[in-house]
Amino acid sequence: MISNRMEFDNTHSADPASPASVSEDNFYSGATARIPRFMIGLGLILAAIGWWRFGVSPALGFLAGSVIAFLNFHWLKSGVTGLADRVTNAGKAQSGKGTVARFLLRYVLMGAAAYGILTSFPASLGGLFVGLFLPIGAIACEATYEAYVALVRKN
Amino acid sequence: MRKLSYLFMMLSALCFAMPAFAQGGTGSETNWIAITAGFSMAIASAVCGLAQGKAVAAATESLARNPAARPGIQFALILGLVLIESLALYTLAIIFLKVK
Repeated sequence: MISNRMEFDNTHSADPASPASVSEDNFYSGATARIPRFMIGLGLILAAIGWWRFGVSPALGFLAGSVIAFLNFHWLKSGVTGLADRVTNAGKAQSGKGTVARFLLRYVLMGAAAYGILTSFPASLGGLFVGLFLPIGAIACEATYEAYVALVRKN
Repeated sequence: MRKLSYLFMMLSALCFAMPAFAQGGTGSETNWIAITAGFSMAIASAVCGLAQGKAVAAATESLARNPAARPGIQFALILGLVLIESLALYTLAIIFLKVK
């Protein structure tokens, strides 16, 4: 029974060194580079739409939220990369304190920006919150793109 | 050290000193929305922190076991952390919408 299952697994497993598998790996590992690009594009498009539809103040709030979300994502990515470097002993070793400080600095930045906008420009607070959700929109765009590429490859 | 801990305990007890028990004017109502918002944000932050901790722990363990799978694990970790953080942001946005 076990040997049969092993045979089944062996017959259906793809060769990890095959060119198709390597290109697929490259495609999926490029998602971390594509998501920030989607964030920039989506942020600019939605800021323009917000400016046209709701006015200057919410659009500026949205842009501020988008910048915070972009920096947040960037620091999260660099923090995770530093963590992975430390675990796998690869790349240049970053200090654990620096990684943790970067993780915490993100929350301080977000809180300070939200407080500043809340006290000085309350009208743009809604835009700021929508801007903070930009990574979710970018991930949705990436998922759509990956689904499209998978369908094109299949056909 | 013990005196310091007593001091902190007293200060923390003072944090719970409720102005509702103080003598005041009539017709003061408790703002339940603000209290609920505070509790909901606290719960959301706590659960998101717990979830992020679990995600990072699982990812580092997987990386230590199989360093060759680093790109996939790293991408999944970034995606997971972003989505978990967004849940706390959803709570914050709802609180700002409801509490004026």
